[in-house]
Amino acid sequence: MNRLRKYDTLLFFLFILPWIIGFMTFFLIPFGTSVFYAFTDARLPGATNFNFVGIDNFTHMMDDPIFLKSLLNTMYFVVFGVPIVTAGMLGLAMLLNFNVKGIALFRTFFYLPTLVPIVATVIIWRLVFNSEFGILNAGLGALGIGKVDWIGGEHTIKPVIIMLQVWISGSGVLIFLAALKNVPRHLYEAAAIDGASGVRRFFQITLPMISPSILFVIIIQTMYNFQMFTEALLLSKGGPNYSAYTFVYNIYKSAFTDLKFSMAMTQSIFLFAVISLVTLILMKLSNRFVYYEGER
Amino acid sequence: MNSRKIAVKTSQYTLLIAALMLFAGPLVWMLSTMLKTKAETYKVPPTILPDTFSLEAFERLFAVQPMMWQWIQNSLFISFFVAAGAVVSSSLVAYGFSRFANRYRNMLFPVVLVTLMIPPSIMMIPSYVLFSKLNWIDTWLPLIVPAWLGGAYYIFLFRQFFMTIPQELDEATYLDGGNRWTVYARVIMPLSKPIIMTTIIFAFVNSWLDFLGPFLYIKNAEMFTLSVGLQLLIGQTSQDLPALAAGAFISIVPIGLLYLFAQRYIVEGVVLTGTKG
Repeated sequence: MNRLRKYDTLLFFLFILPWIIGFMTFFLIPFGTSVFYAFTDARLPGATNFNFVGIDNFTHMMDDPIFLKSLLNTMYFVVFGVPIVTAGMLGLAMLLNFNVKGIALFRTFFYLPTLVPIVATVIIWRLVFNSEFGILNAGLGALGIGKVDWIGGEHTIKPVIIMLQVWISGSGVLIFLAALKNVPRHLYEAAAIDGASGVRRFFQITLPMISPSILFVIIIQTMYNFQMFTEALLLSKGGPNYSAYTFVYNIYKSAFTDLKFSMAMTQSIFLFAVISLVTLILMKLSNRFVYYEGER
Repeated sequence: MNSRKIAVKTSQYTLLIAALMLFAGPLVWMLSTMLKTKAETYKVPPTILPDTFSLEAFERLFAVQPMMWQWIQNSLFISFFVAAGAVVSSSLVAYGFSRFANRYRNMLFPVVLVTLMIPPSIMMIPSYVLFSKLNWIDTWLPLIVPAWLGGAYYIFLFRQFFMTIPQELDEATYLDGGNRWTVYARVIMPLSKPIIMTTIIFAFVNSWLDFLGPFLYIKNAEMFTLSVGLQLLIGQTSQDLPALAAGAFISIVPIGLLYLFAQRYIVEGVVLTGTKG
């Protein structure tokens, strides 16, 4: 019996072997061995002529004014971007939850932008927001509003990126839509009989009932916006004047432009710590606001 | 229908159509730009419907960038092997995690779930260091090999599905002289067609949409995926708006078609795992 059980355990490890190899090779070992770069002055991967510098990288990280600017920009995307994108997703999900004919067709269309490759999204965004020949400025011009240099403007580029995020937020919309469908109808009916207004029903029934999904989406979006990079890189190369320069952009620049892999790794560790801390705080705070059915 | 109901329906449709115009608008603008002549895109005020429909933009696109076909083929090839790898490896691992009862499983499965929460960008530098030490830079290996070693999302997806298949079927197979492998290959997998479809489509789409991976690891233009190639194109021909729009359109077509035919699986995958990947 004991030998049989041992054999079965061996089989178990054989089945999960792909994951074990993948986890070790592509996560544990590279991360583990790269962490030590953060305490050296190594410039390139595989460099052999480097010195240990202790925590110098961590203390010098903040010296760079561009790094500080990238921190502030990233905070902007988290503090303003996350609530706006999440609210946008919820609003869209509520629209798509209307019980009208042809709603399935609407749902199909709203998810389409999410499936557009990001480079194509950026091309489309440049066409729409083009200051000379774009459709947006043409529309605003018809309303008597002068040309705005959306992508080239220091104050407009971050809002443009957040709008882009809303445009491709279909996955969050689907999650909210699934949650809205799970709210028991009888709650709304009872509230309607009691004469509760639409606004009141939204705040007293809808929001509490879908609060686990809201927490989930906020956490995912917060993690994503802390790591904002591709959109900023492709849309305006982080500009103008570093106004869309983000944290991960900085990691990328440290490694591939400045050729300082040690500094890039230091920044990665710092980012990991910040994201972990914020996620933990969000989870703790949420205990007070999130309602789980079947839990008293 | 009373008048109040009609008023509600009307306002609902009005809101939906207004939102649709905002969301479909940019795509319509892409189509319109793509079909214009280069001169017409410089017209002020711009026209929404092209004066003359022309496909010149595509000719110019392939003339400026003859490698377009190569890039499309590269992307198809990579996405195909990523999808195949995701199904094979993740289903094997998920079978292990759903059908074997031992303490190692209870120790290791939470680790799979934790890896879902790791921010991918902290792995950007360590992965690059690893791949350059392995001499994998400028090959497709960094994009394809990890897919064959069990992605956490797909393991989770398969495991959830396998848990719903009754254990009695396993036991009946053992009584007939079957073993662990027979149960996986002859019982579990044939019953898992929906989740296999979801995984294939999801992995294919995610690989097609991936930008950062190929952007970091592939430098040789002949090896580019379509996404990275398009990014090169933006630099080459930034003034030719119709050609750029045509390039964007081409990169959307495969996924758009897939979405039309397999919408159900994509929606399911998003709702089950909670993200697009």
